[in-house]
Amino acid sequence: MPNESRYTIHELYPYAASVLTAGLAIALCLSKEIIWAAVALVLAVTSFLAARRLTREIKKANEQKCHLDQQLIQSQKLAAIGELSSGIAHEINNPLAIIGQETEWMKQIMKGDGLQAPDAPDELRDSLREIVSQVDRCKEITHKLLDFARKKEPLIQGADVNKLIEDMARLVEKEASQKNIKLVRNYQKDLPRVQTDPPLLRQVVLNLLNNAAYAIGKDGDISISTRQSANNSVELVFSDTGSGIPKEHLDKIFDPFFTTKPPGKGTGLGLSISHSIIVKLGGRITVASEVGCGATFTIHLPVEASKGEV
Amino acid sequence: MKEFRVLIVDDELDFLETIVKRLKRRQVDATGIDSGIKALELLEKEHFDVVILDVRMPGLDGIETLKEMKKKRPLLEVIMLTGHASVESGVQGMQYGAFDYVMKPADINDLLEKIKAAHERKALHEEKVRETKMI
Repeated sequence: MPNESRYTIHELYPYAASVLTAGLAIALCLSKEIIWAAVALVLAVTSFLAARRLTREIKKANEQKCHLDQQLIQSQKLAAIGELSSGIAHEINNPLAIIGQETEWMKQIMKGDGLQAPDAPDELRDSLREIVSQVDRCKEITHKLLDFARKKEPLIQGADVNKLIEDMARLVEKEASQKNIKLVRNYQKDLPRVQTDPPLLRQVVLNLLNNAAYAIGKDGDISISTRQSANNSVELVFSDTGSGIPKEHLDKIFDPFFTTKPPGKGTGLGLSISHSIIVKLGGRITVASEVGCGATFTIHLPVEASKGEV
Repeated sequence: MKEFRVLIVDDELDFLETIVKRLKRRQVDATGIDSGIKALELLEKEHFDVVILDVRMPGLDGIETLKEMKKKRPLLEVIMLTGHASVESGVQGMQYGAFDYVMKPADINDLLEKIKAAHERKALHEEKVRETKMI
């Protein structure tokens, strides 16, 4: 909005000179300085024409800028798709390579009278088990991707956000306490009920808590706090004392397939799914972190349901 | 609130019986069954609105049962029941469309509230489906 109003003022600037000279022309005319009045009039007309020309140029330039912006967004989208597909390719290629190796090995065993060897059945069974587990891994990836792509419309219900978070915190707490990770709660007591999709929000909360525990590894705190914030919204903050996120990763952390976990340990879809869920719920999620100082994820959610655009 | 039916699936028979009894005492139409496979068979024959499903069961475990249930009855709302809270199964459960989690031993008031919320969600969902069909 501020851009638009500035633009209209800009638009008026060039006309100032012509208005002034026109005024001068009238004043000169009244004081019978006809020649000077005519000169001023000519000046007023030329400056008016120049101003009109100028505003038209500005408008045209602005339209071009809009067009370029759109092109930029489009190319950013394309780049994201490119990154996404290379992510998928990478994720699927690893299990495929293992499946390939295992089948080669099975063929090797079955060559000639290799099947007569005493350990042949066990070897075959082992290979089959590995193949099944790799197929499962691929299935999980495609399932998550479909989940990511599917436009599930949120179902809006009233929810006590403190209770919702607490339920998920308790789910994480037992495993966390075994690693000496403490959960520190700081819930605002009279938080308003939020109109949202509770299971989707639970999925996000659980994901953030799980990530926090992973980032800490052992010995540390996860702080959870809720508070009402401006614009009729609530703020959910999850901080950990983990290893933190390097600056160059912060921009990419919500991108699909971005992960720093070793292959097979995470698909890199958790945070991107969380991000798209929060956007669908009409909110936003941000991250702040420094290496060695832990990370903080903040979710802003509207109290009243509002549809976000994905 | 309209009448609705709840199915509880848990292999721990003591727990199952108690919870069915306690829910019935609170005017909830509750049925208990002790395995995932049996639950899926029962869902073929009878109508239920909300399922309470134990995560850890021999045979078909809670997550697998949840997946199958959601495939067969997408509108069914499922609340997962967990004793030994495993974060991994929690994450999976929510991903496969569980409505909520309840920790054992479940507080009956807490459970009742969650059952009601789950049923409300199912009703909302059905209404939405009807609306889209009308258009």
